[in-house]
Amino acid sequence: MTIAELISTEVVKVPLESKVKPDVIRELVQILMDAGKINDMEAVVEAVNTREELASTGLEAGIAVPHAKTDAVNDLTVALGISPDGCDFDAMDGQPSHLFFLLLAPPDQSGPHLAALSDIAKIAGSRSFCKLLRNARSAEEVVELFLED
Amino acid sequence: MSPVKKILVYIDGTEQSITAAQYAICLSKFTGAELTAQYVINTKALDDLLKARIFFKQEQEEYARDLEADAKRYLDHVLELARVKGVVIDTKSTSGSVNQEILNEVKDGRYDLLVIGELSRTRSRRDEFYNEVERALRSVPCSVLVVKDDEHVWQMYSSLI
Repeated sequence: MTIAELISTEVVKVPLESKVKPDVIRELVQILMDAGKINDMEAVVEAVNTREELASTGLEAGIAVPHAKTDAVNDLTVALGISPDGCDFDAMDGQPSHLFFLLLAPPDQSGPHLAALSDIAKIAGSRSFCKLLRNARSAEEVVELFLED
Repeated sequence: MSPVKKILVYIDGTEQSITAAQYAICLSKFTGAELTAQYVINTKALDDLLKARIFFKQEQEEYARDLEADAKRYLDHVLELARVKGVVIDTKSTSGSVNQEILNEVKDGRYDLLVIGELSRTRSRRDEFYNEVERALRSVPCSVLVVKDDEHVWQMYSSLI
């Protein structure tokens, strides 16, 4: 399962409305709730927050990759939120974060979870692609960017 | 003379790789070829995620332990799939980058066929670039069989005496 296969318009939100970290996490989880990907919102929020308390997943260059293993999902699941104005996600460079990849996986799917995180890490390394994502103005536009021409 | 003498099947825990294992077991039974199943604990990805600071150290170690447990679980499963069909299978768990570990095993073991599960439907040029198993497919010196149609394979495996 590749990231491109996990990304669909129903799991992408542009723009995110939240401005602070706890609200961003909740808004990302709400995307998955609305898409029918999870059925226990509070359990997921708690799992993601618990992971974030150990170390922030706010990376450099405006990207954040909150993630967690949780029984609240049956399969590997991703949500992508874009905040053109950015928000403070305790990023390592102290700069606002703009792209948020929320990745959830059941505890027994470490292999696929690792592969998906690895894909996101590579995407994060592509400044040009991240710039395109950051400038996207709709979920449809984001999905198009992930798809082959 | 059998067209293949040594088969390597790559297992990554996906349903597609288990289907590939079923196919490889059938092929081994039909041809008498030696069969080995390999699982790669992707420590390269673990290291990359630590460097990218998506993981912190303890998290990396936790995932490594999870992957080791996955390797044992899936290889044990494949071992059982072969055993019930009277096929002898060797299992190997190695660590490193998926592409490189498969390539090393194929070369060192002098396999003449690599069997892999159906690759994800490519929807993005980026995925094509990133897919580790696809890299292995391109780089190994032996023939590669990509197993598709899980229902057909299951029927073939089930009917194997």
